[in-house]
Amino acid sequence: MDLPRPHERPTAFDRMLTPVHRWIWSDTDRRVQKLLRFGETETDGGRDILRAAEVTSDPLLRRLYLEHAIDEFRHGVLFRHRAAELLRASQTGSNTGFQGDWLAPGGHGLDDLQVDGESDQNMLAFLHLSEKAAASRFSVYRDVMQHDLPTRAIFEEILHDETFHMNYTLTQLARVEPRLHKRHLWRARLSRLWKSYLRLATGIAAVLGSILLTIQYFVLLPPFAWLAKRAARREHFGWTKVAPGRNDSLDRQY
Amino acid sequence: MNILGISAHYHDSAAALIADGVPVCAVQEERLSRHKGDAGFPLLAIETCLQQAGIEREALDAVVFYERPMLKFDRVLTCTLRAFPESWRTFPKAMKNLLGEKAWMRGIISSHLGVPARKVLFTEHHQSHAATAFLTAPTRRAAIMTADAVGEWATFSVGEGERGSNGTTKIRRFREIRFPHSLGMLYSTFTAYLGFKVNEDEYKVMGLAGYGQPTLVEQVRKLIRRTPDGAFALDLDYFEFHTTAERSYSLRFVELFGPPRNPYEPIDLDTAEGQRFADCAASVQRVLEDTLVDLAQTLHQETGLTDLCLGGGVALNGVANVRLLAESGFERIFVPPAPGDAGCAIGAALYCDRIHFGNPDRDLPDHPFWGPSVDGSELARIAQEDGHHIEKLSENVLIDQIAGDLAAGRIVGWMEGALEFGPRALGHRSILTAPHTTKMRDRLNREIKYREPFRPFAPVVPVEAAERYFDIPPGGTRLARFMSGVFPVRPEWKPQLQAITHVDGTARVQVLEPGMAPRLHALLEAYGRRTGIPVLLNTSFNLAGEPIVNRAVEGYSTFLRSKIDILVAGGTRVTKRTSAMDKTEAGRMKEEVA
Repeated sequence: MDLPRPHERPTAFDRMLTPVHRWIWSDTDRRVQKLLRFGETETDGGRDILRAAEVTSDPLLRRLYLEHAIDEFRHGVLFRHRAAELLRASQTGSNTGFQGDWLAPGGHGLDDLQVDGESDQNMLAFLHLSEKAAASRFSVYRDVMQHDLPTRAIFEEILHDETFHMNYTLTQLARVEPRLHKRHLWRARLSRLWKSYLRLATGIAAVLGSILLTIQYFVLLPPFAWLAKRAARREHFGWTKVAPGRNDSLDRQY
Repeated sequence: MNILGISAHYHDSAAALIADGVPVCAVQEERLSRHKGDAGFPLLAIETCLQQAGIEREALDAVVFYERPMLKFDRVLTCTLRAFPESWRTFPKAMKNLLGEKAWMRGIISSHLGVPARKVLFTEHHQSHAATAFLTAPTRRAAIMTADAVGEWATFSVGEGERGSNGTTKIRRFREIRFPHSLGMLYSTFTAYLGFKVNEDEYKVMGLAGYGQPTLVEQVRKLIRRTPDGAFALDLDYFEFHTTAERSYSLRFVELFGPPRNPYEPIDLDTAEGQRFADCAASVQRVLEDTLVDLAQTLHQETGLTDLCLGGGVALNGVANVRLLAESGFERIFVPPAPGDAGCAIGAALYCDRIHFGNPDRDLPDHPFWGPSVDGSELARIAQEDGHHIEKLSENVLIDQIAGDLAAGRIVGWMEGALEFGPRALGHRSILTAPHTTKMRDRLNREIKYREPFRPFAPVVPVEAAERYFDIPPGGTRLARFMSGVFPVRPEWKPQLQAITHVDGTARVQVLEPGMAPRLHALLEAYGRRTGIPVLLNTSFNLAGEPIVNRAVEGYSTFLRSKIDILVAGGTRVTKRTSAMDKTEAGRMKEEVA
């Protein structure tokens, strides 16, 4: 096997999680769901990068972003096709089961990035770090995919593209901001950290909210549910007359 | 008086601005944010409207939201309670969704726009649909029928509208059918069952129906029964959309129709399974049409009017619209270019202007072009920077040259003037090609649109020549104005119009009057002079999963990513540099890395 190129080596954190990833990818259903989700993330990322190509005033960046976006769209297709192949082979359909997706998807770290309002410098710094993070994670996925060579080949191919994406974003950042490009990278790192925290916080808040609402549902709602069901039984099918004057006031929200 | 209409938070958000009774701008958020079906609060659309009108937010006299959020909350909560305890998973999601933002529209609008809360008004969802359908139609008095999946409680309503000679306007809704009994939800349930996206891909079901036979009509009729008072009701045992957001159909539905389609598998119409799906589509289409025709016949008898205005997402069903024209008794049917929820932005604003404030009625321009205009010089600049071949041509030379390109079998990305409002590309943001061969259709599907082979492409034809090529009944030209009807292609022309003739021999034709899009009309004439057939294939200027392009730069990026041969914006014509991308730095860097 070829030695991994420097940018394809996983970070220590990703290496630590290798057993977890091995467990996740060992099951076909989970693999299908992961691949479908990756397909969506890559396509969404591609759209953001395409938008960056449309809004930048730098002709070289426009061409590079466009090339990058086309790669991302192609990755999305690769993931979707592979998921479809696995689905076809499994014959059982996919059982979604545990998804671990209560966190908002991080994707390329672009989910909260308003591409239209970002400078080229910020965009390049974001992209560079996102691609780097994706390459690290994808190299772990490639390594744990010994039992599924076609999926492994997809990660291999995508890793090749990610290396290009990492290279050009760094080179271009240094070109458009020769003096302060490192500062931009640090700002982007902090921003990614902040967004990760926000995703974690909103994820936890959403889970807690769901738990509280579910408790309320079973504790407070039964009598109201009984009343609603009784009212529903009395409701007639068919036309309901619209009373004259019902819509006269536009001030009401109800 | 400046009135802003807003439609948001379900799918396809939009904003529309009415100034002194006439629309100044109407645009869907997705066209600006570039996220297909963007349902978020339409800030970009609102900014565009204000910019196009040249006014500040303070100059707004009213902001109208297209539905009543608390009434919607009431429906969601009531349905959740009725489904207790099965709705336990849905309840937290629904509450977080509604109470997080959607229920507080007055405050949200007021804070986003900085307008006083008293200026924020609300119409009912189907009231907005009715207003869009009637107030934008060139008719003085008409019956109104609205049908969609669901608004607050109503899913279907009938009524009438009248413009008085003294400038007063009245819209009266007689009665409605309420959730969960919904024609839109019935159709959407089949959309989900057939593996398509709900609220987005319903037109694929209509396209697929052409390949099937309505052999399952009896089964579909088990799902929907007519009530003694002439309305309809769904048998809820077959559905789950009213109890959960996760699935629209129940196990009983699957027992009746068989296993649902895997959305990731293509439909192979040569297999029994593929044919079953097509038959399902044909059957639900037939039941939808029968139901609509029957309801419209009753409305016609009741009102005695000759004109019918159709609103709501169901009005996008061109096959059903043509049956309504043929069988309902109405002589003319008006479908606005944006009958769905996005169009409600304009309807809500017009309703507020004409009825709430009682401003005098005014005739409105009868076209769909209410969005931002394209800038040909922007295209020229960016294409020049990338080294593509650019020509800035005078009007006549451009038309002649593009007609030549089309006649030579080239695919043209065509951008001119203001963006269309609504889901159809009606000649200002279109991909145009010759309509003569299936080879061209397959090329478009394979190389540009990347879409299912069963979906048909639409033609555009000048009004003067329409009846020569298409069998358009009296009143049909109106339906075809905004591509709202599907009509038979005349048999003698089918061999020359293969790319736009659907498998059932029909086409969703756009009949173009010169006044609506003069430039495209001139192009059709020029093309007709060259080829003898003034018909072009007209499909929306976008790639799969993307919104229709708005600005020149979006058309340009679409042009570069696909195999469109020529791009036109204003007077600028661009052709691709051969192997343009190979010479970029990206190409060189990729080679190095490899």
